[in-house]
Amino acid sequence: MLSEPGHYDYMPWRRRPRISWPNGARIAFWVAPNIEHYELDPPPNARRMPWTRPQPDVLGYSWRDYGNRVGFWRMADVMARHGVRGSVSLNVAVCDHYPEIIERCCALDWELFSHGTYNTRYFYGMTEDQQRAVIRENRETILRASGQSLDGWLTPAISNDETTQHLLAEEGIKYTLDMLHDDQPTPVNVRKGELISIPYSLEINDVPLLAMRNTPPERFAAICKAQFDHLYEEGAESGTVMCMPLHPFLIGQPHRIGALDDILRHVVRHDKVWLATGREIAAWYTEHHLAEAKAWIAAGTP
Amino acid sequence: MTGLPDDYLRYPLRRRGMDHDLYPFRVLPQARPVTWPGGARVALCCALHMGHFPMDMPLKPFIAPGGMERPYPSYWDYTLRDYGNRIGVYRLLKSLSARALPATALLSAVLAKRYPVLMDDLEAAGVEIVCGGLDMGHLHHSGVAEADERAIIQEATGLLRARFGQAVRGWHSPAHSESAHTQRMLAEAGFSYTSGWANDDMPYVVTTPAGQLIAMPLSQDLSDQRMLHQQHMATEEFTQAILAAHAVLDQEAQETGSGRILTIPITPWLMGHPHRMAAFNQMLDGILARGSLWPATMGEIATAWQSQNGAGA
Repeated sequence: MLSEPGHYDYMPWRRRPRISWPNGARIAFWVAPNIEHYELDPPPNARRMPWTRPQPDVLGYSWRDYGNRVGFWRMADVMARHGVRGSVSLNVAVCDHYPEIIERCCALDWELFSHGTYNTRYFYGMTEDQQRAVIRENRETILRASGQSLDGWLTPAISNDETTQHLLAEEGIKYTLDMLHDDQPTPVNVRKGELISIPYSLEINDVPLLAMRNTPPERFAAICKAQFDHLYEEGAESGTVMCMPLHPFLIGQPHRIGALDDILRHVVRHDKVWLATGREIAAWYTEHHLAEAKAWIAAGTP
Repeated sequence: MTGLPDDYLRYPLRRRGMDHDLYPFRVLPQARPVTWPGGARVALCCALHMGHFPMDMPLKPFIAPGGMERPYPSYWDYTLRDYGNRIGVYRLLKSLSARALPATALLSAVLAKRYPVLMDDLEAAGVEIVCGGLDMGHLHHSGVAEADERAIIQEATGLLRARFGQAVRGWHSPAHSESAHTQRMLAEAGFSYTSGWANDDMPYVVTTPAGQLIAMPLSQDLSDQRMLHQQHMATEEFTQAILAAHAVLDQEAQETGSGRILTIPITPWLMGHPHRMAAFNQMLDGILARGSLWPATMGEIATAWQSQNGAGA
């Protein structure tokens, strides 16, 4: 077993090379809806059982199903109203199960990246060949369903194994979201090829907040706005990134959707915000800032 | 590394629509519009979770939320749940009837034997009886043999129909628990609607080999059992969430021209305490003040929906 991921160098939060976002923006704000399918009768995995109750766990299943039937449509309408695009963390089997959803995402000019095939098929214990097979199949499915290239990755349920990041780079993935070590993009050390990490979040994320930490919707909105306000302020010095991951089965409930409306209204009324997608952030950082970050690390982060 | 078995990367049910045959995929914007009596925008269903929790209930393979959480014999857990069927429900029914709001009881069937006086009072108050399974110790899951599950359903159904007649045509499994056979067995037992699947705000049809059932909306995410008991949230956080949900559903009804449904899951052993009643009453008054409401039982809503959607909608 590894004692640490080993994918990034220590980069203290002071005197970093300055990041400049397009048009003088202080903050790159991006929304990552997790559009998922949890199978009713998935196969077991030695490290994690998909459901807490014996299968079929109809309560757990139907709660997630709500996201695709109802919650997604509410969430997408609110985002569209504020002109905020999504970068979809997609269980790619959704392209086959629910093409209506993919159609709506594409009509809204959203990015699709891979969150694995199903949220009930974990990477825990896969061989490298098995992981590669999933990544390649996911790339083909996203291309077929949307015409988009597969640039980003979040392992389903963040169930990555020790070598997953290396394989992502070798398979041409440009950015990974499996690590939570930073508020800016960073280089990822891999054995071959190139990969960067861009900030995802489990702090500003509706699963931990709304489902695990018992946060009322108004408080959720206040937390997200506070996160934004501080990163916006710090972004005057060097560009920051705020990711807001969402899950339609939670945020799309009628008692919570108003919180999303409130948060986005707050964000878009600031003028130095770059409303970006994951792919756009990764491409900009790679083109303009990656080499400088590596040089700073090589020089001992002076 | 040997890796996972090859079939871990095979997906035999990866196809258009669901990975099962109970119901087709349907998205809310495509649901057929419905009209409620009087042109009301929102149908309001007050659903009372009237469970009986045996003190010796099994704790495996999982415990129903609210089940015996402390070592046997937990008087703490048992008596506090029993409070709901002695005190809480009477308090809640008084609040509802003062506002002319009907109630639907999701009733553990053993209560018909245990508390016949309570049955008389529910009947006198015009409460709709939905079978809530035998009791909270008899959960439905894949570890229960098919014949045993059928016997549980027959016993529960028999108890309530013996007291209330064939009017008992709705079912809610304890703790939203079901096996792969439950829906079919409920169709066999002559039920016409269920409320175990928390996946929609509007009804839809479930098709089993034994016939069809209407799936009625009943949230567990937005329920007092989850928010007050499991998530330890404040009463006002629950009542505010209900008001927020009503506002959104009411607005959607205005925008789409289709009626919406707000089902409020209410647990007498939780909500029926004196310190919660003011917030509960304010919540009801807040909803009533917005108008265009059709207060109805779950069965009445199911009937109204079915009459406009027919089979297979």
